[in-house]
Amino acid sequence: MLALLFILFAGMAIGCAISMVAQRNPLYGAISLIGVFISLACLYVTLAAPFIAAVQVIVYAGAIMVLVVFVIMLLNVEEEERRPLRLRALVPIAIGLAAVLFAEAAFIIFFVQASPSTPTRNISDVGLTASIGSGLFTSYLLPFEVTSILLLMAVVGAMTLARRGGLLPANVGVVPGYQSFSREVLNPMATPDLTRVEARTSREAEELLGVADAPHVSLDE
Amino acid sequence: MEDLKHIVLLFVGILVAFTVVMTMVAYTVLAERRILGFIQGRLGPNRVGPGGFLQPIADLLKFIFKEDIVPDKSTRFVYFLAPTIATTAALMTIVVYPFGPEIHLPLIDKTIQLVVARFDVALLYVLGVTSVGVYGIALAGWSSNNKYSLMGGLRSSAQMISYELALGLALIGVILQSGTLDLYSIVEQQSGHLGISGWNMILAQPLGFIVYLIAAIAETNRVPFDLPEAETELVAGFHTEYSAMKFALFFLAEYVNMFTVSMLATTLFLGGWNGPFVHQLPALGVFYFLGKVVLFLFFYIWLRGTLPRFRFDQLMNFGWKFLVPLALINIVFTATLQWSGAFDFFAKFLKTSTGWGG
Repeated sequence: MLALLFILFAGMAIGCAISMVAQRNPLYGAISLIGVFISLACLYVTLAAPFIAAVQVIVYAGAIMVLVVFVIMLLNVEEEERRPLRLRALVPIAIGLAAVLFAEAAFIIFFVQASPSTPTRNISDVGLTASIGSGLFTSYLLPFEVTSILLLMAVVGAMTLARRGGLLPANVGVVPGYQSFSREVLNPMATPDLTRVEARTSREAEELLGVADAPHVSLDE
Repeated sequence: MEDLKHIVLLFVGILVAFTVVMTMVAYTVLAERRILGFIQGRLGPNRVGPGGFLQPIADLLKFIFKEDIVPDKSTRFVYFLAPTIATTAALMTIVVYPFGPEIHLPLIDKTIQLVVARFDVALLYVLGVTSVGVYGIALAGWSSNNKYSLMGGLRSSAQMISYELALGLALIGVILQSGTLDLYSIVEQQSGHLGISGWNMILAQPLGFIVYLIAAIAETNRVPFDLPEAETELVAGFHTEYSAMKFALFFLAEYVNMFTVSMLATTLFLGGWNGPFVHQLPALGVFYFLGKVVLFLFFYIWLRGTLPRFRFDQLMNFGWKFLVPLALINIVFTATLQWSGAFDFFAKFLKTSTGWGG
């Protein structure tokens, strides 16, 4: 029974993975990748690790791939054409590496499997939510927290990169004379706020827009 | 032999759960149309059968016999895949909900728990499968080759990702309090006086309950968060180009989602099958469970008849700047109560003062 399930989901995973690499339409590639994640999650369930399986589906299939699909849809990425292979010299090396990988797998299957495996203590509760939770917050607390700080840094970095420079490019020019802006233009963080902000001279407008010190051709003279 | 029996019982369980849910979903659609009619001062469908009772069957036949139109420049494969994903993901979560307590079946002489699959991470499973359901809508919008569909798909993915966060955070309070992800034991823990005083909603999670309720409405794309299919702006949103049975599948997915979200709310916050006299008469639990679910469904329909639609920026602000912080406050609050032992004290109080149900 378990072997049957393993063959089914392993086959699905490999098929989806091949399809993911071979697809020319990026969205089909993304869908295949989702298929890989879900079949891997099913494999985790057969390996008695339901928590990892659920997290795999929630995080990879549910969150990360949604973002990928979202970006593909937003950018409307077209099908890529088949181009002649670049770096053709690397093909034999790739084949060699693949052969090594297969040899390794064969070695493990035929020679290592026979040796007695070291049983983990308390095999029954490994992979259950409670044991993972207590493990994360006791013996592996430091790595856990360090990882979360790493992720936090990535978030902060993305925010600063996205926010830098505000709404306008630095070399923007300002129309001379009296002008008025909506507050929304001056501060992109102020959600639909159409309050009028006035500037009597172009100098004032530049200060409002935050481009006063930018080197640019002034139209005042 | 025992294995085979187990598998047969499993399939029977799935079939029963599926049938119950599908029947109730079909009649939810009818109820929605009748109740909306009542709210809006008209009759609603009342011609097919007594009081419109056979309307769901007429609707189904109509969906089956309609012409199936596929847009010329749609992405064929994905166009067919999208409704399948939406419906499958919606239906997959049914198996983990406990419909009732342990019941002795006289026919095969066996005591069974009225839940198809009981496992350690049931709650996470629900969240995972629900998050996969987003693809149905997003891909439908993309593959239709229609700007309104695409807008609807984009909106819905943004909305569902944002509100999934608030939803998940709202559930953490319950998990903290009960210390398990297994839905059956969460329900078991909620039996108090008369099967009512132990409900999580009453005990310590009123805030979590409200956050969950609002986020759940957004997750199912219902009024007032129905921006993905806002008919005044987007024709019909992501399913503009879908007709006949494929449209019916989206329709089905939406209502099944409504149903499963209500079942989760009942299970986690309203004590599931707990109620007066359940311990004496376990079969009563099924009726309590379904009755509470129906209450939620009525609430949904009532909202649809009452509230206008949000604007998109309002939706996002509300989700990220109000619901998520509220859910975080709830987590801190629950953790503090748990740490100070307030829950244990309360549970002991409930246990020592025995009532009819406790």
